[in-house]
Amino acid sequence: MAVLPEVNQLGFFEIRLESIGGLGANLAGKMLAEAGIIGAGMDGVSFSSYGSEKKGSPVKAHIRFCEMGTPIRSATPIEHPHVIGIFHEALLKSGAASGVLPGGIVLVNSAREAARIADEAVLSGCTVAVLDATRIALEEKNKVNMAMLGGLFRLCGFLDPAFMKDVIAASLGKKYPQAVEQAVRAFERGYAEVEMLEVAPAAELPLAPAAAAPLGYLNQPLGGMVVTPGSSLLKDLSVSRSGMLPAFDRATCIDCAQCDTACPDLCFVWEEQPDKRGRMQMVLQGIDYQYCKGCLKCVEACPTESLSRMLEQEGYAAAHQVKHRFDLIEA
Amino acid sequence: MAIDYSKEVRAGRVKQRMVYESGNEMAAYAAHQIDYHIMGYFPISPSTEVAQHLDLMKTEGKHGIRLVPSDGEHSSAGICYGASTGGGRVFNATSAQGYLYMMEQMPVQSGTRFPMVLNLVCRSVSGPLNIHGDHSDLYFALNTGWPILMCRDPQAVYDMNLMALKLAEDPEVRLPVMVAYDGYFTSHQKRRVQTFEDRADVMAFVGEKPPEGFAHALDRENPITIGPYMNEPDYINNRYQMSQAMYRAESVFERISAEYFELTGREYPMLDLYRMDDAEVAVFVMNSASESIKDIVDELRSQGVRAGSIAPNMIRPFPQRQIAEALKNVKAITVGDRADSCGAHGGNMLNEIKAALFTYGNSSTQVVGRIYGLGGKEFMAEDGRHFFELAIEAARKNAVDVPFDFYGHTPGDPAKAPKRLLKPLNFDALKTGLITVTPNEETGKLAVKIPPLRSLTKKPKRLAPGHGACPGCGIFSGLELFFKGIEGDIVTLFHTGCAMVTTTGYPHSSHKATYLHNLFQNGAATLSGLVEMFWERKRRGEFEGMGLQEDFTFVMVTGDGGMDIGMGPAIGAALRGHRMIIVEYDNEGYMNTGAQLSYSTPLGHRTSTSGVGKQQQGKSFHHKDTAQIMAATGIPYVFTGSEAFPQDLVKKAAKAQWYAQNAGLVYGKILIACPLNWMSPDDQGAVIVDAAVSSNFFPLYEVEQGITTITYDPEAKNKKVPVSDWLKRMGKTRHLLKPENEAALQEFEREVDRRWNRLKAKHEHPDL
Repeated sequence: MAVLPEVNQLGFFEIRLESIGGLGANLAGKMLAEAGIIGAGMDGVSFSSYGSEKKGSPVKAHIRFCEMGTPIRSATPIEHPHVIGIFHEALLKSGAASGVLPGGIVLVNSAREAARIADEAVLSGCTVAVLDATRIALEEKNKVNMAMLGGLFRLCGFLDPAFMKDVIAASLGKKYPQAVEQAVRAFERGYAEVEMLEVAPAAELPLAPAAAAPLGYLNQPLGGMVVTPGSSLLKDLSVSRSGMLPAFDRATCIDCAQCDTACPDLCFVWEEQPDKRGRMQMVLQGIDYQYCKGCLKCVEACPTESLSRMLEQEGYAAAHQVKHRFDLIEA
Repeated sequence: MAIDYSKEVRAGRVKQRMVYESGNEMAAYAAHQIDYHIMGYFPISPSTEVAQHLDLMKTEGKHGIRLVPSDGEHSSAGICYGASTGGGRVFNATSAQGYLYMMEQMPVQSGTRFPMVLNLVCRSVSGPLNIHGDHSDLYFALNTGWPILMCRDPQAVYDMNLMALKLAEDPEVRLPVMVAYDGYFTSHQKRRVQTFEDRADVMAFVGEKPPEGFAHALDRENPITIGPYMNEPDYINNRYQMSQAMYRAESVFERISAEYFELTGREYPMLDLYRMDDAEVAVFVMNSASESIKDIVDELRSQGVRAGSIAPNMIRPFPQRQIAEALKNVKAITVGDRADSCGAHGGNMLNEIKAALFTYGNSSTQVVGRIYGLGGKEFMAEDGRHFFELAIEAARKNAVDVPFDFYGHTPGDPAKAPKRLLKPLNFDALKTGLITVTPNEETGKLAVKIPPLRSLTKKPKRLAPGHGACPGCGIFSGLELFFKGIEGDIVTLFHTGCAMVTTTGYPHSSHKATYLHNLFQNGAATLSGLVEMFWERKRRGEFEGMGLQEDFTFVMVTGDGGMDIGMGPAIGAALRGHRMIIVEYDNEGYMNTGAQLSYSTPLGHRTSTSGVGKQQQGKSFHHKDTAQIMAATGIPYVFTGSEAFPQDLVKKAAKAQWYAQNAGLVYGKILIACPLNWMSPDDQGAVIVDAAVSSNFFPLYEVEQGITTITYDPEAKNKKVPVSDWLKRMGKTRHLLKPENEAALQEFEREVDRRWNRLKAKHEHPDL
C-alpha cells in the first residue's frame, strides 16, 4: 500500500477539484480516487458536488484518501484540502483556492506564471503549481481533464502513473482505441509540464468572515417567490466559455439578425438608427460578452464574415463588449 | 458503522469481492445479482442512476431484468404493483416528488400484501423545487404500511437491498419493503463496498424463487380476486392483519440480519448504538449524518464527556423498545430530524422517541428536538458539536429550554436584500404592430404577415440574459424565436425541466414577466386554472389599476418529458378548450435528469436508459407523435416548428396567439438541440434540426381547425436529405449507420416515410 505524505486529524489526505461542467473534473476525480483506492490499495471516499449542474456551471469533486482501517464517516465537502486542482483559471476569482492547508498545493490550469497567479489569488504558505492544460488539450485533441490528471499525479507522488494509463486504456480502449493514445499523451504532458513555485507564508491575513446570505426567514418573500423579474442579468457567465468566443466585425455585418435568432444566451445588442434614407432601422451594435458562453452558434449562422471564431485572449472580451442597456428602475 | 474490512472478510463465510462504487451503483448491483423479474421506473434525481446502471448492465448482458420505462411515477408504481401480483420479483427506485406522485399506490401494494423492494433515495420535497438530500419524502412513507430499512453508507445500501427482499417475501411479513438512503450524500458517494462474489451465494440467501404457497394472478388453476370492494366490518381486520405483519417484521428482520452477519460478517441490529454503554448524553440522527456524528462522539469522549450516538437501521416498525432501553440511563438526548412534521411540535422521530420514553415509563431523560439539514444543507462537524452542546446543557440543567426548534436557518440581512432592477415591460414595445393576423372568411384560415426578422429585434426579449443553460442549448433560441411572434403581454408556466431550472435559480429569475412553475405532470391543469381565474376576475372587473391594456396570452412551456408524464392533464386541458398555448421544446429525452429516454426519443437513439452495446442498440420503440395525439383532441391549432426555419415559426406563433385568445387551446412542438446529450458540437444545433426537418423526420406543418397543411416540403423544394444525413451529425446516433444496425435504420426510415406519407395525404385531403 502507498504511504500518504501527510494526513489531517481524522487521518485523511484530501483533494478538491474545482471546475466547470464539461471539462471532465467529475471523471478526473473518479479516476484519481480509483487510482488511490483500487490501484494503490488505500481506503477512501469520493464524491462530486451535484445539482442540476449544466455544462458550463461550477462543479467540485472531493477525494479523501486514508489508510485501511481509518473510519470513514463524513460525507461533507472538503474545506481544508492538501491539494486543490483548479480546472478553469477564472474560478480563482470565486474562491476556488480557499482553505488550502499550510504547505498544501494549488494546481491551476493557466498559461500564466505561478507567481502572478499566487499574487492575484492572494495565495501564500503553499505551493502554487501551474499547467497549461487547455493548450495541451487543444494540441492533443483531448479534454482538459487528462492533462490536469497528469499534473495531479505529479503532485500526489504516492499515486502510480502507470496504473492511471492502464485505467485510461481500459475505460476508452474498447470503444475508442484511437482516443487512448491521445489521452495518455495529454496525461503524460500534464505530468511533465507542471511548474511549481513555493510561496512563503505571508504575514497573517485576517480571515474574511463567511458572508451571511442576504435573504433569510426575516426577509425572504413568502413561498420562495422571486419578486425581482429578470434579475439573472446580474450574473456573469463568461466563466462558462472554454477557450473560444465569437468576434464581431461591424463593417461586414448586414443586420440580417440570423445571429440573434441563433444565440441561446441573448447576447446580441441592437439599436434603432436611421439608415441612409432616414428610415429607422435596427442595427447590430455588438455582443455583450458577460453572457456569452462561447457556443459559436452565431458564427455558424452568420451568412457573411462578420462573426468569426477566435481563441479568447486575456482582456479581449472586456475591450470589445457592447453592454445591453436594460430598462432599469432609477436608483 | 465504521467498517473494518479486513475483519469482515475474515468473519464472513461467503466469498466476497471489493468494489469501489456509489450508493446508487450498489442498489443497482444488488438488484442485478438478485436478477429481479421487473423494474418499472421513471427518472427523478437523485435516484435515476439506479435505472441507468441497470440499463448499462443490461446492455452488457449482465442480467435479465425487464426494465420498463414508464410515463411517470404513478405509472411506474402501477407497473410494479401489477408485476408483483404476478408472483415474480419486482424492484424500483425513486425520490421526492416522484415518491409523492406514486404515493396513492403505496397502501394499495401493502394493503393487498404483495412484496417488492423500493429504494427511496431521500430528497427534499417541492415547492420551491430542491433536488438535494433530506428526509422530507421519507417521512411521507411512515404511514404507508411498508417496512423501512435505513442505510448510512453505500455498503449498507448493498446489504439492505439483499435483506429487504428476503424480509418482504417472508411468510410472516408479506409486505413491500422500502430501502432508504440519503440523496447525493450516499447515492453519489463512492466507497469501498464488499459484495457477494458469487451470484449463487446471493440466491442461496434470498432464495432462488419467492416462497411457495402465496396466491398470484397468473395461476390459471387457482383464480383469485385481488383488491375487492371491502367495507366494515372487514376493512379494519385487513388493517389489523397488516399491522401485525408490520410488527412481526421486526423479529423477522433480526433473524435475517443474524443470518446475514453469519454470511458476511456485517451486522445490522435494529439500532446502531455507538459508545452508548455508559453514555450520559446522546444524539439521534439518521443515515449519513449518523456516521459523521461518531467523529464528534470520539472527540467528546477524548475530552471526558460520556457521549454516544443512536441511529436506527429500521424505522418501520419503529424500534420503540430498543430506543427506550438505550436511553434508560441517558440524561439528555438531542434528536435531529432532517424533515419537519410541520405543526406537530417536533419532527416525526422526535415525537416517536418521546412516545417511546413515555410508553416505557422514562420521564427523566431530557429530550431536545431540532430540524436540521433541509434541502441538502450539510451536516458539518460543528453542527454535530452543537447538537451535543444542547444535550449537555439539558443534562446539566435537567431541563430543556427550547424543546423544539429549527437549526441552521438564517435571518438574512434586509439591508442587502435584492431590489427590483427592471421596470415593467413597455407594453407598446411588446405590441409592435409589425405582425398582423387576419381571419379569412372564405377559407376559415388565418392570414399572417410578419416583417423581416431584423425588425423584430426591436421587440424586447421575454427573458433576461444570465440563465444557466449549457452552451449551445437550443431551448432559448427556440423559445425566444417563438415569442417574437407573440404580441403584447404573456404569462408563462414552465414545467420542471432544463428551461425551468436554468432560468429560476434562486434568488434570481430570468423571467421579465410573470412566470410560474409546477411539476411536470401538472402544468396544463395548473395553467388552465390560472386562465380561468383571469377570465373570471376580468368578468368581475377586478383588474382596474393594474396596468393591464390587453388580455394576457398564457403560454405553458414544457419539455418532451412533460408531455409524457403530463399527457393526461394536457389532453384534459385541450378537451376543455382553455384559451392557452402549450409549447413543447422537444430535445428527445429527459435531459434535465441526465438524458434518459423519453417517449419522444426516436428508435435506436442512445440515451442513459437506452444504451448501445451487446444486448441492445438504443431505444427499442418508435418516437411518440405528440402533435398528432394533440391534433386528435380537436383543438383549433396544432403546429410544429424549428429555429432552422425562423419565419415559419414566427408565423405559427402569431397564429397560435390568435387562436389562444379567440378560440381555445393551442399545442406546438419545437424540435430543439441538446448538444450535451445529443453528443454534438455546441455550434451545430440549428444545422442538426435543419437536417431533422429536411429528412422528413420532423416535418413542419400545422393543423388549423382540423385541416393539415405542410408548411415546408423538402421534397417540393428539392432539399430532401436521407435520414442518415441527420443521424450522422450526432454522437447518440452514429452507431445506427454501422452495417450491423442496417435493419434498425431501415425500420426507422420506414416509420419516417410512413408518417410523412400520411401527413402528405392529410395535406392533400381536407377531410383527413
